[in-house]
Parts: sequence; structure tokens; C-alpha cells
Amino acid sequence: MDIARLWRQQPSNIRLLGSRCRSCGVLTFPERVRCAECCSSELQAYQFKGDGELLVATTVYEAPRGFVDQVPYVAGLVRLVEGPIVAAMITDIEPDKVAVGMRVEMVTRRICSSGADDPIVYGYKFRPVAHHD
Amino acid sequence: MDLAHLVGIGRTKAGEHWNRGLVDLAVEAGGAALDEAAVSPTAIVVGNALGSVLGDQRNLAVYIAARLGYRQAETHTVESDEASGGAALRMALALLNAGFHEAVLVIGAEKPTDTFPDGVEAGRANGLDVLREAGFGFGVSVAAALAMTNYINTYGVDRSSFYHISAHAHRHAALNDLSFMSWALSEEQYAKSPLVADPFKVCDGAPPCDGAAAAVVTLKRPETDQTVRVIGSAGISIEPGIWRPVLELKLPAAQQSASRALDQAGLTTKAISLFELHDSSTIMGALSLEAIGLADKGQALKLAEGDALSLKGAHPAWTFGGHKARGHTLGASGMYQIVEAALQLRGDAGQNQVADARTALVQSLGSFGSTAFTHVLSR
Repeated sequence: MDIARLWRQQPSNIRLLGSRCRSCGVLTFPERVRCAECCSSELQAYQFKGDGELLVATTVYEAPRGFVDQVPYVAGLVRLVEGPIVAAMITDIEPDKVAVGMRVEMVTRRICSSGADDPIVYGYKFRPVAHHD
Repeated sequence: MDLAHLVGIGRTKAGEHWNRGLVDLAVEAGGAALDEAAVSPTAIVVGNALGSVLGDQRNLAVYIAARLGYRQAETHTVESDEASGGAALRMALALLNAGFHEAVLVIGAEKPTDTFPDGVEAGRANGLDVLREAGFGFGVSVAAALAMTNYINTYGVDRSSFYHISAHAHRHAALNDLSFMSWALSEEQYAKSPLVADPFKVCDGAPPCDGAAAAVVTLKRPETDQTVRVIGSAGISIEPGIWRPVLELKLPAAQQSASRALDQAGLTTKAISLFELHDSSTIMGALSLEAIGLADKGQALKLAEGDALSLKGAHPAWTFGGHKARGHTLGASGMYQIVEAALQLRGDAGQNQVADARTALVQSLGSFGSTAFTHVLSR
């Protein structure tokens, strides 16, 4: 992963920063420069809370390069309470305990492995809310 | 309306070509198509998905043209993920119908087997959203596993019934010498194949492999009787994201492009003799059958279990084994489908022949169904 790219992606990957359209109010994740709903370019940064619901999940045993050292891992679609759907790994839970409809929250974790000279890539994963309190 | 005539076709075996590179494969298939055609194309369009990503040649068409003996030609290299083959054909139709050329050579070529499977999976994943999906451990198998999970939960089908899609494809591939997996798939083999991402097993996926397929297309009707016409063509991309096929179990781009191509051809699905759809996985095959209206929602697996999709059935599909068993040559697969459909319409399909095949619908998808190209062929 190139450092400049990683730096640019940090607001969305680490803070779950998206956009809110000043014109039509639609929320998008990650950040956009133009609203795909109303074509306005008047967008402001929008901080998502990081709370959501797990819609569907799978346990991955054969992963793409960069993720092989994490298998088996759970990958799923999370609907944020604000609306957008996020594809993310589900962490801090045994794969067989994962249940659709589960409330989850965003945490920052190491996302993928890279070469010895590359920066470590951090970003969002989601964990069950019950594990937190 | 005739958009083009297919006047020459060629293809290599789909499989592991250890002694052939990407350009060599393309030249082999392209050369065969040129040998069959009585005209000399002045433009070459090459569809390829992963050449750049896996470290092969960029601006591929230039090097293929030179190796085919061209001293000059207009060349284009087209990349639309796994729909690259369909996109390349459509580009060729545009060049013909704009009046820029009288004959165009279209080649689909792919060479993934030099790379280890996790590297191929990562390359394929980059056809998904790199920022939101591929960068977070989601590949096409993961997406397919999520869609299967939701399909099972929504329609109450048995997990094991996805076997019927694979078994069907293997039955046809067993008759096709140029297929990668030319054997019948037993229920036990399917059940015992390892999990890639629960519930997606190895035997739910179309195996990525090497190969090239090509056609010469012209605007002018050839002198011979042996012509296959392209009478419908449509390309559509919708808002990308795996969430729609996964959560809604729909492929709107596939549905709309099929509908437009059929409208242009003046045909309905009922009038189509055979179907070559994008079965990159059992679930994509199932959703494709539903998108074009061959099966009602949730009924595709049942359709595959019966005889309807067989060579003698009401709606023959994946007549040479589809991506699942002929082998998934990724960016070349769309051109394999075209060549296979052309063989059917010429009556040259051998053991895979659909009796009295008159029309074919060919559909190529990319980015997990976000991009679709559909062509309707007629004899």
C-alpha cells in the first residue's frame, strides 16, 4: 500500500468519515466530491457514529492475497444506524457465534498484511456491542 | 437489424497453458479466426481483465496485432472486469457501425494461472470497489458466499441444491474437448469440495483459467451461407456494490441489458434457442437465470435440477459447460460465449449441438453484476 494513498484514506478508514449533501441531505460513505442523488457539489464532512446492524455474514477460509493470514475471518454487510451499508470484517467473536441482526460497533484494527517495508494498514472492523460493555 | 456478421471464429482450449503466454494465446485464437474469414480486418479489439494487474502486457492489442503479422491497424484494449469479452465485441460493433472499419478482429484473452490462487483472487477482487470492498478482505468468492447465504435464507432452499447448477454445467463440459473440467460432477464430489467462504465451496466457483477466443466481424453480409448475425447488443452499468445482488438477490444490469438487446433484435426470451450466461459462481448463474426471466425468483436451482437447461431441454443453457466447467477465462469468457453460440448457430457444435439452434442470447457480467453486456445472435 502506497503511503500517500493510505494517508488519503485515513479519514474514512480510521474515523468512518463520510459526506452529507447540503442540498438534499443524503448521507454517503465514504466521502464524495459530488452528490450522486442530486448532483450537488455542496457536500460537508459527516461523522458516522459507527453503530450498526449485521445484515449478512460469511466465514472466509480462502482469502485474497493480503488477507490470508487472518483466515478464518468473518466478512459481512453492516447497515449503519444512519443508513449506509458498509462491507467489513466482523471481529472479537467466534465465527459460529455470529448472528444476523446482531448489533455491532466500529473498531479500528489492522486490516491487511503487506510487505516488510510497507506501512501497516489500519481501518475499520465491527464487533458485537455486547462484547464492549 | 444486422449489427454485424461473424465470419470467422477461433478459440484455444480453456485450461492451464504453462507453455503459452497471454499474447501467444491471443495470437493462437485470433489467428484461427483470421484463417476462417475471407476478409482482412483493419482493426483489432482485445478484451482482457487481469493482464495489467497480474503483471502481463499493457496495451495488449498492439502486441497481439504485430504478432499476427499486422504492420498497421487500429487497436483497442478493453477492460471491463469479467465482462471485458462482451465489452470488446460491443466496441467492435461500434467501430463497424460508425463506418470506421469494414472488418474487425475481436479477441478475448486471459492468463491467470502463472499467479498463485490468492493473487488471482486479489486481482479479481479489484474489480469490486477497491476502497470499500476489496481493501477490506472482500473478493468475488466472499461476495458470492454472502449472496448464497441470503438466497438460502430468503427462499428457504437447501444449501446442497446449488449442486444442480454446477452439475448441469459439467454435463455439457464433459462433451467439450476444449473445456477445462470435462468430467461429470457427482453430488459427493460437490459436497466434499472444501469451503472457500461458507457456504460457498470450491465447486460453486468457476475455476479461473487461461484461454483466448476470437471472432472476425463484418458489416457486409458474406457470400457464403455460413454466417452468424449479431442482431442485438446492449451494455449497461449500474451503481456498483456487492450489497445489491447480496441483499436484493437481483441483477438489474443483467435484466436491463438483456431486455434492451432482445428489443433491438425484435425477440422475446421465449424465441431464444440457447443461453450463454455469466455463471462465475453457482449463485451468479442462478441470479442470471432469474434476471432474464427463465426462472421465477428463488426457482433457478429447481430449474437447473430438471431437464429444461439441457441440450434437448426447453431453454438450453451453458451448452459447452459455461464458465463453471468449460473454465472461467475471466476477461476472455465473454468471447468464449460468443464463439460457442456461433458454433451452435452454424451447426458446428458437435456433441454439444442444440438441435435447430436459430438464436442465442449471450451475457457477460463484471464487477459482481454491476456491468452487463448482452448480445443476441441469429443464424
